[in-house]
Amino acid sequence: MNTKSLNTTCADDSILWSRLRTGDEKAFSVLFTKYYEHLVRYGNSFSNHSEKVQDCIQDVFADLWIYKHSLNDNANVKAYLLSSVRKRIARLQERDYIFTKTASTDSIQFLFDFSIEHQLILDESTADKVNQLNILINLLPSRQKEALYLRYHQGLSVEQIADMLDVNYQSANNLLHRALLNLRKEWNTNIPLLILLSYSIL
Amino acid sequence: MQKRNKYTEIEDFLADESFLSWVRTKTDLENWEEWTLENSIRAKLVEEARLWVLAMKVPENNLHPSIIQSALVATWNKIEKNEISTSTKKEIKHWNNNWLRSVAAVLVFGLLATWTYSHLFIPTNSTQVYNELIEDNNDEGLVEQTNNSTKAQIITLSDGSSVLLQPKSKLSYPKIFVGNERRVYLSGEGFFEISKNPKKPFLVFANEIVTKVVGTSFRISAFSNEPNVEILVRTGKVKVQSNEMALSSNKKEEITLLPNEALRFTRKNSTFDKITDITKDQTLIHSVRTIEQLSFDFTDIPVSQIFKTIEQAYLVNIEFPKDKLKDCHLTTSLNDQPLPEKLKIICKALANNTSYEMNGNQIIINSDGCNY
Repeated sequence: MNTKSLNTTCADDSILWSRLRTGDEKAFSVLFTKYYEHLVRYGNSFSNHSEKVQDCIQDVFADLWIYKHSLNDNANVKAYLLSSVRKRIARLQERDYIFTKTASTDSIQFLFDFSIEHQLILDESTADKVNQLNILINLLPSRQKEALYLRYHQGLSVEQIADMLDVNYQSANNLLHRALLNLRKEWNTNIPLLILLSYSIL
Repeated sequence: MQKRNKYTEIEDFLADESFLSWVRTKTDLENWEEWTLENSIRAKLVEEARLWVLAMKVPENNLHPSIIQSALVATWNKIEKNEISTSTKKEIKHWNNNWLRSVAAVLVFGLLATWTYSHLFIPTNSTQVYNELIEDNNDEGLVEQTNNSTKAQIITLSDGSSVLLQPKSKLSYPKIFVGNERRVYLSGEGFFEISKNPKKPFLVFANEIVTKVVGTSFRISAFSNEPNVEILVRTGKVKVQSNEMALSSNKKEEITLLPNEALRFTRKNSTFDKITDITKDQTLIHSVRTIEQLSFDFTDIPVSQIFKTIEQAYLVNIEFPKDKLKDCHLTTSLNDQPLPEKLKIICKALANNTSYEMNGNQIIINSDGCNY
């Protein structure tokens, strides 16, 4: 549903965007209300500090207004906002790292775990398969998971994802493709085991 | 529409909105069900893609609209703060430039009735003057406040100006200033701090005297049972006329006072005496109130100290979160500001979530601490 609302409102976005660039406060507020929640969800994938995340997102919007005159006129609003939030959180974590001296932070970690559409699963065998697949997806390297999330939940194009994750198009495509390919292999080999398991439980 | 006939990878399906909405919400506008069943290889692929969708749920953590709204407000505050801090440099220059002028504009203006002759010349018409003025202008919907206590009381006017009304004094003022003048009526003594508005001059009718300013601070005392009225100007420029002249337009004589000049109006014979050296005039020196002696220039001063100064000057109580503000220092100059403006500036300087509430002489500062 999210993906749908994203794509169908692209035209509205570019209108809002150009009005924002001319200093339209209403357009700013509409964009804010529209994307704030999306961005909070995405931001929370990188950090457990929801307050800091929201602070970052508000900073992103504040900058958007302050530098509105230098914004690119044909930007994809969604991709721009997601990317800005990502950069901002990365910068914050780098800064925090200096003080806390914890693990390395070349890039921020996408900590998000996908969950299962339980209410859409009616039969047990589907439930088992989905469970297994879900576990495998969540075991993917964080960059692959993030690519999947951006592609299939935020509806970004491969180019936009490449841009955000700071890789070239081919690498972004590989991230996405490999994620699915590897998993399908692993998953298919695991299915008999899974079936065995579920039978043994019964 | 039939691009889906070329789908060979799970990716193709996952990127298809129509497919996603079929799986997630069962809205099948493009007959996916039928299309899937057309071909068994296709059915296998679709089934797998469906499992992927089911296994990749992103839970919706619905934020309450009020949270989003308050986040929006917080963002506007951030923007405002940024705009202030980026323009601070410009403003400081401006301020310095303006400073001399605004010093000149600030008037401390005292009309001090001298106590010495109080019982000798009780002008029988003086209270009438106040009452007549009120009556004549009552169509403005005046509010009258009388201070029967032993301590000064603070009054805030609708334009942001503040008046420190001394005991045994009363002030009449409209709830809202309309028209192109701001008129108030004083009997007794008050210290006025007027918000600047050159388009709307501020007129204080104090018995026989009318004092006209544009925006500044000054003190007036015009007790009905005292024979003299004195005006003391600290800084700036002020115009004084006798009330008769102000009301009847013929032969308007205006006296202009500059900083550290004073004027004594003798009620008995309606004469003005200009006093050019206030330091030589004992009555004026002795009548100076606390608020005129306190400096509101603060350089790296703990905010608690600033609040204390305000408490002393305006005889108010300020409640503030002492722990949260214990490390907050400010550098600011508030000499030329009415009380509400002073509080506003302090709140703004502390943090964007800081605000004040004022209820009579009780002021409550709400803050989570300062920004630095």
